[in-house]
Amino acid sequence: MSDTVKGKFSGTTGTVSRRSVLMAGAGIGVTLATPAIWRGARADSGLTVTCWGGKYRDGIDTIFAKPFTEETGIPVTLIDNADLAKMKAQIDSGNVEWDVFDSVGPQIMSGSKQGLWEKVDESIVDRSDLAAPGGDDNVGTYLFGGGIAWDTNRFPDGKHPVDFKGLWDVDAFPGSRGLRPRVSENLEMALIADGVAPHDLYPLDVERAFAKMDEIKPAVKTWIEATPQTVTLVANGEIDFSYSYISRIRPAQLDGSTLNISMMQTLNSLEYLAVAKGTKNREAAMRYIAFCLRPDRQAAFAEKLYFTPNSMAGLEAASPEAREYMPDMTNPNNAILDDAWWADNYTDLQNRFTEWLLL
Amino acid sequence: MLTHKSTFLLLLPLTAIVAVFFLYPLGLIVFNSVNDGEWTLRGYEALFNSRLIAIVLQNTFEIAIGATLISLALGYPIAMHLARQTPKRRALYMIMVMLPFWTSILVKSFALAIILGENGLINDFLGLFFGPDFFIPMMFNRVGVFVGMVNYLLPFMILPILTSLMSQDPALRKAAEIMGAGPTRIFLTITLPLSLTGVMAGVLMNVVLSLGMYITPALLGGRKDVMMANLIDFYTRKTLDWQLASAIAVSLLVISVILAAFLQRSRGRGAAL
Repeated sequence: MSDTVKGKFSGTTGTVSRRSVLMAGAGIGVTLATPAIWRGARADSGLTVTCWGGKYRDGIDTIFAKPFTEETGIPVTLIDNADLAKMKAQIDSGNVEWDVFDSVGPQIMSGSKQGLWEKVDESIVDRSDLAAPGGDDNVGTYLFGGGIAWDTNRFPDGKHPVDFKGLWDVDAFPGSRGLRPRVSENLEMALIADGVAPHDLYPLDVERAFAKMDEIKPAVKTWIEATPQTVTLVANGEIDFSYSYISRIRPAQLDGSTLNISMMQTLNSLEYLAVAKGTKNREAAMRYIAFCLRPDRQAAFAEKLYFTPNSMAGLEAASPEAREYMPDMTNPNNAILDDAWWADNYTDLQNRFTEWLLL
Repeated sequence: MLTHKSTFLLLLPLTAIVAVFFLYPLGLIVFNSVNDGEWTLRGYEALFNSRLIAIVLQNTFEIAIGATLISLALGYPIAMHLARQTPKRRALYMIMVMLPFWTSILVKSFALAIILGENGLINDFLGLFFGPDFFIPMMFNRVGVFVGMVNYLLPFMILPILTSLMSQDPALRKAAEIMGAGPTRIFLTITLPLSLTGVMAGVLMNVVLSLGMYITPALLGGRKDVMMANLIDFYTRKTLDWQLASAIAVSLLVISVILAAFLQRSRGRGAAL
């Protein structure tokens, strides 16, 4: 074999050939040894944004990612069910693959505490129109509302609770309860049930909240770990009243389910976007966030996935039918979770809550 | 016959893979558990001082050992039955044993909810005899956890026991029969002792697997059925406290290794019987 090659490329060409082979070999070695070259190549391939998969991904793709690419020429790759631990590992190792991280308050705030996010570039991202703007290194994009869900077949009007006071009132509304095994949302519900006004919740009176949680504990049949179960357990009659989400109940209704969720009192949590520290695409990432905040995009996305736009102009732009399922933040019965407060208290209180559950 | 040197060479690739993809990350976890920028035992201090972790650890062992014992009680007769079939039939039955093994644990947990629930298949059926208000609570408690876990663990118990049963020389049993031993005596003096290697392997695999389980207890268990793995997940992904998560993981690993060593020893004694 080597003889044939020698024969074909004899003389001077032989030397050139051998050198180029060596060069190529060295090139491969260098490429393998330095991931920096990989990263350099990747920067040209566009922006990578995380999301939650399924219908959520479809919504992000058609309403944010594709129109953004059309307008700017920057392609967007979506990553399903990204987790914060992997994001941290990427940033710690200096090998950032995901540019924009899309997640809920506790995760974004944990990341913020560990310095995982770039500061928001206010010259690109205009937050003047947002109901809840977010922090220095994160931007609130939409709100998702949670509240009391029940099956209208088994519980006609008047037989089910519509607010948290009613949820705690086991005598007035007998039936099994299903709550989530996480401390946030539960403490807020407990305090509201105990008479605290939703806009006066923070800082939370933790002792009072746990005392109130003691009252409902015997009525809670299960602490629902997986979000889809907040719907299925009510649907198959295992649980009478669950704490569920508008974005879960509304699609089920449209598919013919008899479940309903109370719009009289809701807890609303923010979803955030944050830009990974050390990304090669900082500016494009900021532009993507600014794009997601446009009122027409905000309205379209929230309508498709049954969320509430964070942009006030976006809320105005939504259709009247859709707005029926967008909690009104000016209604004093509704509360918005304070992620900044939770950022300082989440770990300790979740530990206490898990221990409380076990005893 | 392989020489010592060629055995070493043949093992080299596997050793390299284990070193790079198992020992190195494992070393990192151990390192993480005592270092977060500086050397500290904060993770282990938190671990030993936490009542939460003490309760969860006890839970984890109760659940793991309970599930393993149930799995053994159910798995052994199944393995014996399988060992007595013709090869063709056995292949068919093996598929039935392996089916739960091939199904996603998440799907199975949701499906079991439909079977075990208050308005599930079993309670609906019982309601026909005892009235519509009658039901046995089988979900959101230990029963649900055990059913879900044993369903997953069974193949890992049956396969090693089956292997050791099949490798027994049938002439031994025949000889015992000729000498006048009844079926119970044959089982107790020949079949059972000779299958202990398989039993120990199955028990070991079951315990180790169930120590790390958490989706099934989370979906089918009650509020008290929290496993160690839930806590590791919580500290790793939700609060990013990798030091404490690593400390818990290392402790769990050490406990598993001790348990494995213990079982290994008793297996050695069992074989000597």
